[in-house]
Amino acid sequence: MLAKTKSYALNGVEGYEVAIEVDLNAGLPAYDTVGLADTAIKESKERVRSAIKNSLFTYPIRKITINLAPADTKKEGSHFDLAIALGILIANEEIESDSYKDYIILGELSLDGSINSIRGVMPLIISAIQNGHSKFIIPSKNAKEASYISGIEVYAFDKLAQVVDFLTGKNEVQPLKTSEFVSIANSNKYSVDFSEVKGQYVAKRALEIAVAGGHNVLMIGPPGAGKTMMAKCVPTIMPDMTFEEAIEVTKIHSVAGILDDSVGIVVNRPFRTPHHTATVPALMGGGANARPGEISLAHNGVLFLDEMPEYQRRTLETLRQPLEDGTAVVSRAKRTLEYPARFMLVASMNPCPCGNLGSKTQQCKCTPSEIHRYISKLSGPLLDRIDLQIEVDSISYDDFRSSVPNESSEAVKSRVEKARAIQRKRYAGSKTKTNDEMTNAQVKTYCALDKTGESLLKNAFTKLNLTARASTRVLKVARTIADLDASENILSKHVAEAIQYRSLDRKYWD
Amino acid sequence: MTYSNDQKALIMLSTLEGYNLRRKRFESVDRPCELYDDYTVADNMIAKMEKSGVKVITIIDEDYPESLKEIYDPPYTLYYQGDKSLLCSKDLLAVVGTRRVSAYGKNIMQNFAPAFIRSGFKIISGLARGVDSIGHKISLENNSPTVAVVANGLDICYPPENADMQRRIAQTGLVISEYPMGAKPLQFHFPERNRIISALSQGVFIPEAGDRSGSLITADYAIEQGRELFVVLGSIFSQQSVGCNKKIRELQAIITLTPEDVIDVLGKTVRKNDAKIIQLDFASQAIIDILKDGALHFDEILQKSSMNIADLSGILTQLEILGLIRKLQGNNFEIIPLI
Repeated sequence: MLAKTKSYALNGVEGYEVAIEVDLNAGLPAYDTVGLADTAIKESKERVRSAIKNSLFTYPIRKITINLAPADTKKEGSHFDLAIALGILIANEEIESDSYKDYIILGELSLDGSINSIRGVMPLIISAIQNGHSKFIIPSKNAKEASYISGIEVYAFDKLAQVVDFLTGKNEVQPLKTSEFVSIANSNKYSVDFSEVKGQYVAKRALEIAVAGGHNVLMIGPPGAGKTMMAKCVPTIMPDMTFEEAIEVTKIHSVAGILDDSVGIVVNRPFRTPHHTATVPALMGGGANARPGEISLAHNGVLFLDEMPEYQRRTLETLRQPLEDGTAVVSRAKRTLEYPARFMLVASMNPCPCGNLGSKTQQCKCTPSEIHRYISKLSGPLLDRIDLQIEVDSISYDDFRSSVPNESSEAVKSRVEKARAIQRKRYAGSKTKTNDEMTNAQVKTYCALDKTGESLLKNAFTKLNLTARASTRVLKVARTIADLDASENILSKHVAEAIQYRSLDRKYWD
Repeated sequence: MTYSNDQKALIMLSTLEGYNLRRKRFESVDRPCELYDDYTVADNMIAKMEKSGVKVITIIDEDYPESLKEIYDPPYTLYYQGDKSLLCSKDLLAVVGTRRVSAYGKNIMQNFAPAFIRSGFKIISGLARGVDSIGHKISLENNSPTVAVVANGLDICYPPENADMQRRIAQTGLVISEYPMGAKPLQFHFPERNRIISALSQGVFIPEAGDRSGSLITADYAIEQGRELFVVLGSIFSQQSVGCNKKIRELQAIITLTPEDVIDVLGKTVRKNDAKIIQLDFASQAIIDILKDGALHFDEILQKSSMNIADLSGILTQLEILGLIRKLQGNNFEIIPLI
């Protein structure tokens, strides 16, 4: 008898249906898998046989042929095990019920017949829903992840035998209850807080502006100035993720296999810190199975590049396109995948190779050409995407009797959320979400300056040696500062402050 | 442009490495044209020069500068790009110094060089990194013609990052070299070219020079050639000022405290920057008062002024634009001293 079960496979974060056909033929006992299956699927032979045997079912001593349709697409992963095993049992008439036809079956088998967790449950289910499926059988270890999707019937199981009992109607099982996202989203679990950063008032202010306007930011300062600590605090002042954002992030993390099964969804904004030896595939995504890279894992969160000039130039340059359009395109031999990668770039660097340039207490030991070489590792087009460049110095704040309060992340976040609300209202109906993403036309409309602002900007360029490319950047940042100030128009004081955040444009680095 | 056989012979002579060798050959004959019979090398060289817009003046030419003829070892050829009348200018002031310039040296340059230019001096230097580059740069910014004496053929740029500067100097000023096209910037070229810098100038000004700085060689030449030597005192602990301080003791160089010291000695009239009376508001005046005791970090000013960050940033930018304060590396600010 021929059996046909349904499962799903992933291509990037998008899934497609895979029909698993099992046929039992006369002939010498054998087990053949066709349909461009990878090694993990071919090895399922052993898992499936043992699992069936150890679940006390009969394994057919026949020639077993398994076809994965569509037959011309390469398939990978171990999550077809359960669908194959059920197919064999159905073909062998161990299950005599047609109810299995409604279900998308996902799960990896263990030799003892239990069902192991798999990668990518959330993106698999979401794609299947989009194609009209609504009933799923999944490993119970992935139950949390699936439970955030409402309007479908998901059944989670621990063992192969339980699935068989369920399909034959011997055992009634209730579908999973939908989990409430809001309840866990509000339990903030960041381990750092802005109030723990001592001093660094101007740097903190710059980060607040950066987050409020979605701008990328570069911190320049000697070792030990607190750059990393401040970068870690950036997610804590970002607005809470909406459910849609959380789903997007969870899909990517699920595909990459780094999702925490006990929570099942990514609640906190990701903070990714790839090491400076990271390769292009590690950052952009790739490898044999085209996994998402660090920039996609940082989607809706923060990508922190510590010691930015230490990265390979080639690696840094690949960031340009994702920074522009928010997607990472991974091209492999047989396919091209697109992962979302809309992240906030927070980078840090020393002012020179020894780190002491401009320090009041330490002498810089670098030659001008060394400094030149160091700075020029960051190309102009890449710096063009970084709106705020601030200098952070390690000065002693001990003798200060603080007049500026050390604010908590919560306080800063509430201001950021207000500024974001203004932006949402302004850009309603367009693709732009934050000031950083403004198009040139939008800059013209929304960043109009009055006469004093106009002359201030002009003077700044001639007197302060700002480079020409800084102009649009300054305007965008000034727009965000005005939003934080709840000001409809950009005033000259907003422009004046924005100019202070263009450190690398000052030609004193020559 | 056509060249005489004498000139062609001198062009060929300049391809010999080593001044003493050239001198021996030059003095062995009455007229340079007796040195060679075949001028194909010179013709090739001239074709190359014409392609890159380089011209030459030789020691037997009328427009060869007197100031160079006077010295012990004048160059026989001067390849140049730009305005050759600058060679005979009586307004040239050599500004040379360390390649690893400190904040102190930069500060001196930013205050002194514009004052020199205002008083009618034109800066001559060696296009090296550090002090030399700053001198040329300030000249270009102030639309003052400047002279660069380089230690390689004019088809080569050294240091490479100054290529653009060299091109701009050739447009508005003058770039010269005694070395023929294709000559590399060899180590011993640098001390040799220093004698040309000092000889062409009325005086040599050194803002900052380390113990083994090449500008000290220029200082020695200046004394030998009877030019005035001006040196700025530095801290005895600063590596970049050791050379300057030494020359004050060894050569009795003129200790320079203000640009006027140089301008007066060389017989020019001091022209002050047109002082503007700027009416500051209360908050800006408060910031100026805070900065009176020296450079401070943004956060320190913030503490002392008890303003909020947004307002303070704005005021600092305004003061910068007015030219009253400047931003230093590391987010520090200081008042621009009025010299």
